Amino acid sequence: MFRYTYNTLVYGHEPIEKGIDRLARFGYDGVELIGEPAEMDVSAIRDELQRHGTRASSIISIFTPERDIVSSDPAIRRAAIEYVRGNVDLAADLGADIVTFTPTACMKIAPEADLSDEWAWAVAAAREIARYAAQHGVTIAVEPWNRYETYLITRAARAVEFVQEVGEPNIGVMADTFHMSIEEPDIAQAIRTIGSRLVHVHLADSNRAAPGYGHLDFKPIVQAIADVGYTGWISYELLPAAGDVWGVLSGAGAPEFLDEYTEAAITHTKAIVRELRLS
Amino acid sequence: MTRPLGLSTFVLASPFSDSAAIEAFDRTAAFGYDLIEVCIEDPALVTADALLSNAERTGLAVGICGAFGPDRDLSHPDADVRDRGLTYVRDCIDLAAAVGSPHVAGPMYAPTGQTRLLEKPEREGQLNRAADTLARAAEYGAARGVALAIEPLNRFETDLVNTVEQALDLCDRIGDPSAGLLIDTFHMNIEEKRLGDAVRLAGDRVRHVQVSENDRGTPGSGHVPWDEFFDALDDIDYRGQIVVESFLPTVREIARAVSLWRPVAESMDALAQDGIAFLRERFPRSAS
Repeated sequence: MFRYTYNTLVYGHEPIEKGIDRLARFGYDGVELIGEPAEMDVSAIRDELQRHGTRASSIISIFTPERDIVSSDPAIRRAAIEYVRGNVDLAADLGADIVTFTPTACMKIAPEADLSDEWAWAVAAAREIARYAAQHGVTIAVEPWNRYETYLITRAARAVEFVQEVGEPNIGVMADTFHMSIEEPDIAQAIRTIGSRLVHVHLADSNRAAPGYGHLDFKPIVQAIADVGYTGWISYELLPAAGDVWGVLSGAGAPEFLDEYTEAAITHTKAIVRELRLS
Repeated sequence: MTRPLGLSTFVLASPFSDSAAIEAFDRTAAFGYDLIEVCIEDPALVTADALLSNAERTGLAVGICGAFGPDRDLSHPDADVRDRGLTYVRDCIDLAAAVGSPHVAGPMYAPTGQTRLLEKPEREGQLNRAADTLARAAEYGAARGVALAIEPLNRFETDLVNTVEQALDLCDRIGDPSAGLLIDTFHMNIEEKRLGDAVRLAGDRVRHVQVSENDRGTPGSGHVPWDEFFDALDDIDYRGQIVVESFLPTVREIARAVSLWRPVAESMDALAQDGIAFLRERFPRSAS
């Protein structure tokens, strides 16, 4: 039915081989990696994945003020596009299916330029990236973020408009239930709105902990994911309860996100899949 | 009157002022609310006289809520800055006492939007500074019959008090029974594992309730577990105000902090009307 992966971002400074080992141990099919191609030893990661009989599922793009697809500075816009192309190369090198895309720097919450200009820049950038990705067999997943992390695309319906305008076959929409819990009146309905354009999924509970540790009802959500015909990766992007997530991860870290949440997340979803008789 | 249902002026006029009062009170009364919650973005713009005359004219009760930008920092390392924040809260308490509001409500422990990463000792220091300043505010309020209703905010709006559990800890540090909690469903949706459990944990420390949907839209239009939340208010025998809060796109004092970049209802009027209709289903007017 689904394949399972987990965003290793939350493992913080831990060596990646420990994360790969943990995910293999708890029955995950893949490993979701942060896209920092300049800092990664690709052949070492590939060897490690092979050794554990697993694979890279997806590359999470990190958008900063220096990598902002809709910056008012054309040099920064260019740098952002080049960065995502680098993530496409990384995905191709590691055999990952998905590269994520959000057209603003994370935590930038007000436009610098005219909104219609920003939208047009974002569409043009996404089109260029999608065409490049197509040559490598990689799919681009547009991710809406909640209002505190972006302003441009916060809801599924807006993301659908965006990918329609981009008009490339290998770009779609991803669903992250933490962001959706803030922005969507009905998460399952929003997933149905995405429909066949759903290309990647991040499950996290209402408080961004592992599913089951907050108050979201995941049964209708998983049912909707199945009903739209999705058979791709179910990933978990779980993050500490802080505005400054990076600060937590680069500091003391978040120990419950290691073994405890890694095991709990996949166990929770698989139980629902069984209960709903989806497999 | 038990459980008066109210509307926040953040939905009607921002910053609220005496000159906006006539229209704001008229509209709130016409929507069918019992109460108007006046948010004091700029104390110089609001007088007790204007609130009282409009309250009398429309029959609305008045609640007082604060807005805490960077210039009102009750936990700042500099004592002079903290004192300026305290002066603002005391002004709000005076206004509350004059207009009959049982409380001053808001996230009064830190400037809204402050989300740094603090080491534990720094965080303890800031909490204790907040508690010291708020103890002085609570004492001032108690002498005037006005409680403090302290509001936990979600992780993107503050790093200091996100949950009911943390707010109760702050109240313990304040050590004055007139300091209690304001609970808001929008923030609880993000931070609380179970809304009902959080309400019951807060118990008799709940001084005030604000309701807003998970996207800050009309209560009842999203996925907040309303039955669970209202049942828990019954469990703790809460008899205070329930106020519908959202924000006009023009809100200034805390605009960046609330990050409301898109309309969350067809119009603010629709939000106010549909909000009271939803609440009245659960809390009908008493027959008497």
